[in-house]
Amino acid sequence: MADSASTGTVQDGTGVIMEEFSYDDAIVRKFLFATVIWGTVGMLVGLLIALQMADPRFNLGLSFTSFGRLRPLHTNAVIFAFAGNAFFCGAYYSTQRLLKARMFSDALSKFHFWGWQAIIVAAAVTLPLGLTQAKEYAELEWPIDLAIAVVWVAFAINFIGTMIRRRERHLYVAIWFYIASIVTVAVLHIFNNLSVPAGAFKSYSLYAGVQDAFMQWWYGHNAVAFFLTTPFLGLMYYFMPKAAGGPVFSYRLSILHFWSLVFLYIWAGPHHLHYTALPEWASTVGMLFSVMLWAPSWGGMINGLLTLRGAWQKVVDDPILKFFVVGITAYGMSTFEGPMLSIKSVNALAHYTDWIIAHVHTGALGWNGFMTFGMIYWLLPRIFQTKLFSKKLAELHFWIGTFGIILYVVAIYSAGVTQGLMWRAFDATGRLTYPDFVETVTRLIPMYWTRVAGGSLFIVGMLLFSYNILRTWQSRPARYDVPVVKAPRLTPVHREDGPKAAPIAGLLPAAVHRSWERKPILFTVLTALTVIVASLFEIIPTFLIKSNVPTIASVTPYTPLELYGRDIYIREGCVNCHSQMIRPLRYETERYGEYSKPGESVYEHPFLWGSRRIGPDLAREGGKYPNLWHVRHFANPQEIAANSIMPSYPQFATTPIPWAVIPKRVDAMAMLGVPYGEAINNAEAMARTQAAAIAADIEASGGPAGLEDREIVAIIAYMQRLGRDISAPTAVALVGDGEQP
Amino acid sequence: MKLSDIMSNAGLSVFAEVALVLFVLAFLGIIWWVFRPGNARRWESDAQMPLDDLHPQQPRQREE
Repeated sequence: MADSASTGTVQDGTGVIMEEFSYDDAIVRKFLFATVIWGTVGMLVGLLIALQMADPRFNLGLSFTSFGRLRPLHTNAVIFAFAGNAFFCGAYYSTQRLLKARMFSDALSKFHFWGWQAIIVAAAVTLPLGLTQAKEYAELEWPIDLAIAVVWVAFAINFIGTMIRRRERHLYVAIWFYIASIVTVAVLHIFNNLSVPAGAFKSYSLYAGVQDAFMQWWYGHNAVAFFLTTPFLGLMYYFMPKAAGGPVFSYRLSILHFWSLVFLYIWAGPHHLHYTALPEWASTVGMLFSVMLWAPSWGGMINGLLTLRGAWQKVVDDPILKFFVVGITAYGMSTFEGPMLSIKSVNALAHYTDWIIAHVHTGALGWNGFMTFGMIYWLLPRIFQTKLFSKKLAELHFWIGTFGIILYVVAIYSAGVTQGLMWRAFDATGRLTYPDFVETVTRLIPMYWTRVAGGSLFIVGMLLFSYNILRTWQSRPARYDVPVVKAPRLTPVHREDGPKAAPIAGLLPAAVHRSWERKPILFTVLTALTVIVASLFEIIPTFLIKSNVPTIASVTPYTPLELYGRDIYIREGCVNCHSQMIRPLRYETERYGEYSKPGESVYEHPFLWGSRRIGPDLAREGGKYPNLWHVRHFANPQEIAANSIMPSYPQFATTPIPWAVIPKRVDAMAMLGVPYGEAINNAEAMARTQAAAIAADIEASGGPAGLEDREIVAIIAYMQRLGRDISAPTAVALVGDGEQP
Repeated sequence: MKLSDIMSNAGLSVFAEVALVLFVLAFLGIIWWVFRPGNARRWESDAQMPLDDLHPQQPRQREE
């Protein structure tokens, strides 16, 4: 390992043994390039899906470029590839310098880098192919999930190893933020992705319905918290003092900021499920903790901004500080808005609308984007050991990017509020003012075009950024200078408290903290415990107390054909636009029918409640339209509703059903405890019988013939089943002749 | 008897109160630790860490 190779020891004048070492900046350069490349790719995919919402022709008529498949590619690329690589880039640079030690192992650093890029490539291939677990930001299928776990553990070992070898006694607060991020992301990733494989790239979530929803948003919200917030706060606490030329405004405040976030964030997830079938106590806990988060978040924002005290004049001619100031302000704005959106009555309006998309982009473009840009502009001259190619271009990037964000979010906030208000509008006679869902979409199209303009500006900024990086890199020296750093080794730890204090040390927070804060592994373990214990307080009751998920006798599993139809629904990413969760609010039940009950989704592995209604809710879709209507609608939605923005799926009528996989899917579901009974043994025959019946009905009503072995009958079988069980007088016949009741 | 039966009948609603007390106590402990006058100098020196990439602020253990 390069570390041992480059470490030497010398004695200084006073006889203290000094160790010689160097920082590994090659890895920082690698992550920097990856950040810029994947960032550009992820944002361009974002632009394409923004165009698709403004005009469905941008779906290009190909299954792998349709919105449902590309939307997860966009979110995964910008979160895990752009923000992820940016975090690693800044963390590798700052960790070594804050700990006065080279990374524990250069080999692990390289493994982390190449492993992570391979995962990104795997995501970019599998998501357009429709291989997905259908859980937001956890779409990647199980083999990739395993790879993520391995790479993440390598990163964790490398990081903890560096902490153990450090030459600085205390751990700076940025390091705490990194540790919390690393351990929490590991816990979230593992528990949310537990699943039963039903093939090389197909799996079903271990959890069902309410519990799956709970786990998903415990994960989903904390992915925002511990992948997009705490890592970047760590970066802020290192790079902001660097750029401002002075220490952070209040170190005390930064410690409170850290512990408050660690204590509070993990509880907040259920605010994504207000008014759904989640038990109300969980939703209320989520709301309360989210509102509490406002205080530490603003404390952190103020701490970041006030680091510029006495140096505000520098902002005028320093693009780096401009990026940081707007980035931290965006953190403040989105962490004010987040708690507000988690209040149930506000959420009732905002949920399922573009308001959430606007909220996310304030955070993602403003906070993550601008903090990354500021950090990289600061790093460029240092890691490429040359001058920044053009400060003017960086200034231009700042202004174009800022204008792009404003254009984007203002348009999309308007779209969200407009649609939310239209959904709930009643006329004087007590009927819905806009009973036709498409009307509420058509009204948004001008705002969608404005978003395309705003997003394009942000991408133009990104291209200027890339060009500036390229030109800076071109002026690098022929060989990078690797400065030798000298620092004494940490002497072995011995207790600061006298021997008398030792027996009661365990009772005193200060003493406890001082002794374990010196021991990074223990610190890591305790941070993990804080997060896990808090999670368990929410998870245990949701999973183990029966009253939380009342069952409904008439709810039975999907037939084998319906199950395969559901897999098509998952593959095409329908859940990205259609919810299956009717909230108990009058304007929802008027529009969609009886509100959704927790007992209805007990066999839903994974849950498909959705989080956004770009199209109408489908929870009670079954029986609303004849089979033939669905055949025509899938082939060309615009033929049925001229202004619909849904992509067309003509391939459903031509793609054959792979009958052999159906028994495997049923087996996997049975393993999860879904009571399939006899259906396990004759799944294929049952599916064929049901398919033939649907195909016959389509033909009899004047539709095309010969659809009995095409995917269209499977997805129709699924559509026609949705939401019907609770009104079924007896259990749906599953075992036996396999006919549709 | 299944685990879920045991958990359902165990009267676990007190969990929430226990959690509240534990977490509030832990948090109060942290506040006390942060604002303890004895730690003031430490925070000052820790805050300097990002500003010097080459020299540790507190390289060695304090001698007893």
